[in-house]
Amino acid sequence: MAIQAPPGAGTRLFHPHFEGHDQISARTLGFWLYMLSDALIFTGLFVAYAVLNNPMAAAAGPIAPQIVNQVEGLWQTYAVLGSVAAYSLGTVALKSGNKGGVMLGIVLSILLALVFLYFEAHDLLGLLAAGNGPSRSGYLSAFFVLVATHGLHMVFGILWMLVMLVQIPTLGFSANVVARLINLRMFWQFQATIWVLVYVYVYMIGAF
Amino acid sequence: MSAPRSNPLDHPEVRQASAWRYMAGFISTIVLMQAALYVTTHQQLPFAEYAFTIAGLALAALLSQAALLFGLDISRAQIWKSVSLVLTVPLFILAVGLSVWMFQNLAARTMIMPNMPQPTLLQ
Repeated sequence: MAIQAPPGAGTRLFHPHFEGHDQISARTLGFWLYMLSDALIFTGLFVAYAVLNNPMAAAAGPIAPQIVNQVEGLWQTYAVLGSVAAYSLGTVALKSGNKGGVMLGIVLSILLALVFLYFEAHDLLGLLAAGNGPSRSGYLSAFFVLVATHGLHMVFGILWMLVMLVQIPTLGFSANVVARLINLRMFWQFQATIWVLVYVYVYMIGAF
Repeated sequence: MSAPRSNPLDHPEVRQASAWRYMAGFISTIVLMQAALYVTTHQQLPFAEYAFTIAGLALAALLSQAALLFGLDISRAQIWKSVSLVLTVPLFILAVGLSVWMFQNLAARTMIMPNMPQPTLLQ
């Protein structure tokens, strides 16, 4: 028979030790819904970029065809997809409880993510050095914010991976650690999805 | 959601990891992006046809990522992720499509005066 607790400050909607709850599934679904709301932030940024990618919003400054390079963008695509593949393959080792395999996947993933960030920083710093910073025009504001928001997600993903590199050897594959590793896998794969959209929209269609 | 398990490594979210699926997702996305780059650098198409071609390649890449990387399907472990994504995708399309349409109509009716100074938000 179900016990109904009276509502109040001490009421708990989710008891962490109740056997009827599947904590990993609850966490992954919750994090998935968070990522969908994060995707809506990118939707707003893509809208701003679409509206501002025209000479009227350029203030006589450059627009996409003058500042993006599709071939360089492909190298970034290789780096971010390689990083996602490395982490994802690391989680295959998680199935057998192989700590070394998981940590190797994370380390390779971090290295490839740093390669991606190097390319991105090189592009953005080059624009800044040429006097084409984010305050130069509405178009450049949209470009910097869209690209840098994705880069910021990559930075947070790297920090998250560094935390997991500490937690895996110290805490082992507890339910909490496993849930974090699974959520990180979704988060990292999400970065590849967003990058595909950035590459196609900013580097290709937007630069037509 | 699935039933609770004492060993977290037995959880369906852990067991769904698959090396061949991840590699297939990686390779398919790379191939599709290379195809999009080829179309872009060698394209002789009008803008509308070019945009539809590139958008189709991007859609194929996103679908391959959803199926092969995220592992979305209608199994008991994944059904609610798939449903929430299907319900959210129209929001993306509406937000982007309608905003672009509105501003395109605005741009078509905006008169640009020659030698007009660029207005700022403070003027």
